[in-house]
Amino acid sequence: MKYSYITPHKKTPFTQEVQLLISFFSITIIMLFSTYLFLLYKDYNFQKDKNQLLNTQVKLKENIAAMQTKIEYINKQEALGEKVQTQNTVLKDSISNLFDLVPQRITLSQAKLLKNGLILYGITPNKDIYNFMLQAPLRSIFQETYSSFYPAQNGWLNFVSTNYMHDDMNDEVTNNED
Amino acid sequence: MLSKLFEAIYHKVLVNIVVERARTIVYVEVCSKKNVVSRIEEEFNTTKLDSAMYDFIHSFMKESPYYYISILDTSASQGAIPTCSKHKLQEYADLTTAEYKCHNNEWAYYTSKNDMITMQKEYDTIGLDYIFSPFSILAHFFNDKINNNLAMYVLVQDSFLSVAVFEKSELLYAHHLDMMTKDDLDDMSLNEDLENSDVLLNEDVSIELDDIEVANEFEDFANIEDLDAIEEIDEFSENKDIEEELLESEETLAPANDTEFNEDYQRFSLIQASVGQFYKNDMYESRFIENVYVADCVGVTSDFKKYLEEEMFFNVYVRHAEIAPEVCELAKMELGI
Repeated sequence: MKYSYITPHKKTPFTQEVQLLISFFSITIIMLFSTYLFLLYKDYNFQKDKNQLLNTQVKLKENIAAMQTKIEYINKQEALGEKVQTQNTVLKDSISNLFDLVPQRITLSQAKLLKNGLILYGITPNKDIYNFMLQAPLRSIFQETYSSFYPAQNGWLNFVSTNYMHDDMNDEVTNNED
Repeated sequence: MLSKLFEAIYHKVLVNIVVERARTIVYVEVCSKKNVVSRIEEEFNTTKLDSAMYDFIHSFMKESPYYYISILDTSASQGAIPTCSKHKLQEYADLTTAEYKCHNNEWAYYTSKNDMITMQKEYDTIGLDYIFSPFSILAHFFNDKINNNLAMYVLVQDSFLSVAVFEKSELLYAHHLDMMTKDDLDDMSLNEDLENSDVLLNEDVSIELDDIEVANEFEDFANIEDLDAIEEIDEFSENKDIEEELLESEETLAPANDTEFNEDYQRFSLIQASVGQFYKNDMYESRFIENVYVADCVGVTSDFKKYLEEEMFFNVYVRHAEIAPEVCELAKMELGI
């Protein structure tokens, strides 16, 4: 202000119309940018969810594989248990049958059950009772039967009866029992 | 930074308003950063801002946000003071209700605050950016002369006269004269009557003159036609502005006619009274005026020059001036274009 009494009004190219236009464009740009940001966020979220689901899928597949292994193991255990139970039943029946074979006049002091044989220790009043009442049924079961005697102090005879069954025969028996 | 960029992009529109007696001149310059793109001048037969003028100005305001409305101050209560010192200002004029501004820290020009507010209110719809004093115009128009020797400078407008006496850029005297009201002339005449003195230079006035002998010789020059016969007239011719005379010879003043006779005589009378006041009033540092430079914005007749030359023995140089473009020049200077 060198010569004028008054100072000029401040001049700006941003007139009311221009301000309105700028406001309109600004709002539009902000909305577009917001939409773009929103889509970016949603895309990022989607990718994140997708990766999480893929990880979950991989984990589930691993779990399924582990469970399949466990199921197989349990099935095997079950089969084994059933086998053991069957064997126990067979053994129990065998023992029961064995004790049914022993006549009242013969007393057993020890019995050893082998995989393919049976060893009996006991006392008999005499050999005949043993031969007729115990050895005969044992012979019908086992292929090989060996007996040995030695006198007891009371005049009776201690005996050891060793009985063996052949393997093929043993399997057949087992199969029949199954 | 951003605003400077915008300023470089847009043109600057300078709207300059000069209110005359019965009409208003609106001069518009559209400027780019380096040159003037267009100049338009329109006259309106009104002194108020009417709808036609508003539409005309508004059409340019819409062209660029960088538009500047300038107006030439028409206040009757304006003037200029030969000092810029705050303490001395009041010695020359009552500035309690005035707005003043220093020119190069050498002298001051002032105007009525009320008139300025009224003017701003009147042009409120377009908003005024600059209000210029006629004395600023005068100083700028005769910028090449006021740095030189003592001379009187007159800005002749349609209804105003701005009279200033400069000696080497130093303002000695200034007066703004309203031709519409006779008060100015009457006031000055009244003061002179009270002091029981005559204004005319052919009287022996008590002034400080460097060459008092030359002044005293005026008493003998009762008839102006006899001047050529006097050898001492050569002393005046030493101070003549030959360069200005050569320039002036290219311009021709309008021949005298009856309608403009009265106005020119009125102007002459006002100038004569002002000169008298300058010489008589102790407040002003009186010097002997030989040269008068007239910025003619209305087309004064040859009679006007003749009156000043023959009645007051001045060397008169009349330069034609377009007032509205001069206002525009000041606006440009304000904007640094």
